[in-house]
Amino acid sequence: MNIGRLLARARGGLRARLIVGFAAVSVMVTAAVSTGTYLLSERYLMRERTETATRQSFVDARLVREVLVAENTTPRQALERVELPVGAQALINRGDEWFGSSVAFGEDSLPIELRRKARDGVAASQRSDLLGELRLVVATPVPSIDLVYYEIVSLDELERTLAVIRSSLMVAAVGTGLAAALVGWWASRRIIRPVAEVSAASARIAGGDLTARLGRQRDAQLQRVSRSFNAMADALQRRIDRDARFASDVSHELRSPLTTLATAADVLAGERESMTPRAAEAADLIATETTRFRRVLEELLELGRADAGADLLEIEDVPLGELVLAIVGSISGGDCVVELAPNVAGTRIATDRRRVTRILTNLLENARTYGLGASLVTVDRDLGVVRISVEDKGPGVPIDQRDAVFERFSRGATAGRRGSEGSASGAGLGLAIVAEHARSLGGRVWVEDGAGGVGARFVVEIPA
Amino acid sequence: MVDRVLVVEDDPGIRSSLRLALEGEGWEVLEAESGEDAFVWLDRGRVDIALVDLMLPGVHGFDVIREIRHRSRLPIVIVTARTDTHDVVAGLELGADDYVTKPFEVRELVARLRALLRRARPTESSPAHFSFGDVEIVPAAGTVTLAGEAVLLTRTEFRLLCELAVHAGQILSREQLLERVWGYDYLGDTRLVDAHIRRLRTKVETDPAHPKLIVTVRGFGYKLEP
Repeated sequence: MNIGRLLARARGGLRARLIVGFAAVSVMVTAAVSTGTYLLSERYLMRERTETATRQSFVDARLVREVLVAENTTPRQALERVELPVGAQALINRGDEWFGSSVAFGEDSLPIELRRKARDGVAASQRSDLLGELRLVVATPVPSIDLVYYEIVSLDELERTLAVIRSSLMVAAVGTGLAAALVGWWASRRIIRPVAEVSAASARIAGGDLTARLGRQRDAQLQRVSRSFNAMADALQRRIDRDARFASDVSHELRSPLTTLATAADVLAGERESMTPRAAEAADLIATETTRFRRVLEELLELGRADAGADLLEIEDVPLGELVLAIVGSISGGDCVVELAPNVAGTRIATDRRRVTRILTNLLENARTYGLGASLVTVDRDLGVVRISVEDKGPGVPIDQRDAVFERFSRGATAGRRGSEGSASGAGLGLAIVAEHARSLGGRVWVEDGAGGVGARFVVEIPA
Repeated sequence: MVDRVLVVEDDPGIRSSLRLALEGEGWEVLEAESGEDAFVWLDRGRVDIALVDLMLPGVHGFDVIREIRHRSRLPIVIVTARTDTHDVVAGLELGADDYVTKPFEVRELVARLRALLRRARPTESSPAHFSFGDVEIVPAAGTVTLAGEAVLLTRTEFRLLCELAVHAGQILSREQLLERVWGYDYLGDTRLVDAHIRRLRTKVETDPAHPKLIVTVRGFGYKLEP
């Protein structure tokens, strides 16, 4: 058996490799021990049987000699005096004459090698397949009366004993293999468990839960892994907190000057008529860019609050259908069709009004900026979730960017094409805020192809 | 008569730009860089509406609101640097009528101020007289009495009460109240309604903790029991 190849095949993972490894090694060891045991017992049993048969044969040969010498009978009569064990046969060879206890066995059935040895006066025994059965033939020359006494005993019983031993050893080998596989499974679980814990904690951190830590490990080695993992998580959390705090502080500091700028820009816009064209154009630029600045800042502040965990949920009974109609009406005007499922229209749903409003507003503005405007908004509800979808007839979102669009400061492939309305859009934080709010409501958001493969459909699913 | 807007704001930039913008709307702007300054203006003469930044050096915005409410029913809009629910709700509980969050859009602010100034004028066409148990409402005079004693309501509280009284026995949703009293659409903050209902109850209910007149209809809104 080739462990290397077996292991190579079991690339299913550390666990599978451990289980197969354990089983393979134990089967090999058991097989070797079993084979050894079997060979030893076979040799021992065979020798025992041969010795017994030889001894018996000597005794019987002596009996035949005594009968022949003392009573002067024929060899056949002498043979009748011998009490042979069950299944045993005897033959006497004197000169060229053969006398047998059974007609089944004649001189021809005896091995030639053995006959030659016996004729030379050497006592010998040989195993041989006679009449379809393994038998032992013992030749005892009796030189004093110039004959050879042959006894043939069946080895059937021995064969049966050996068969029993063989099958018990085989069962033992298979059993040990299974047991070893079980041990391997158990051991792998013990080894895998800390690995699984690390993996779960890493996944939680990757998913945004920076408080994920590993517990104390009993094993000193694992404890070291656990400690460094926790140290890494601590450092990461500190760093992210610091970055978030910095972004939040900066945003807060920008509030007041920006309010001044926006207000002053508005005053300028009001005086536009009395300005020279150059001044008017400059005033327009200031107004547009201040608006954009304000939106970016609002988005940053909103994300900052979410990051700081300061944005608590405020659940109230919201007339979702009416809210959706109002929001779509104020942002998309009459170009967008709204479809409310019958179980949504006219009912209230316990959720966070501000978040839902922000989610829908951002999706509609995203559609306006990148998707030629929202064409269809649907709201339906089943099995404890509410689904809001916003569909547009724009270029859609390529499959490989469908996760990336929800990341911060991502603007998708069409970012380069920013129209006049596009300049009023934010910093690419709109969809990140949607994802953040959907998550805080215990829901999720994704993007798929619009109806008929045209455009994009953003779907938000929140529990209700 | 030109409306006088008191702007209580410590940031000189915001204060100056607000003066320019609000003067552009035809209002007279009284600038106060602190709570103390604000009190001077209030002592000195007529103020029609106040815009109060909550984060002030010295006397806190909350104290300014408390002081104004102590003296008058002057409409108050608070300016908060944070959407911190706590700040907004606390300001409203103290009697502010509305709020805006920095960075705000001046057009939005002007719309809020206009709505409040309109509300501050006596309502013209209303039924002459309402009576619910101990509570008497005379819309034309703008007066409310509880068991014969005059109750001092802000204009917003008064409008809210009248709205509920006109539709006595009917459930009015928060959204409807926001629209009719504050002039907001669905995108308004329903906390405005809740905070004002709470204040209103402390003034017109015999036992505000167990309201009998203005009852909450869970999941729907509020109702004035006739």
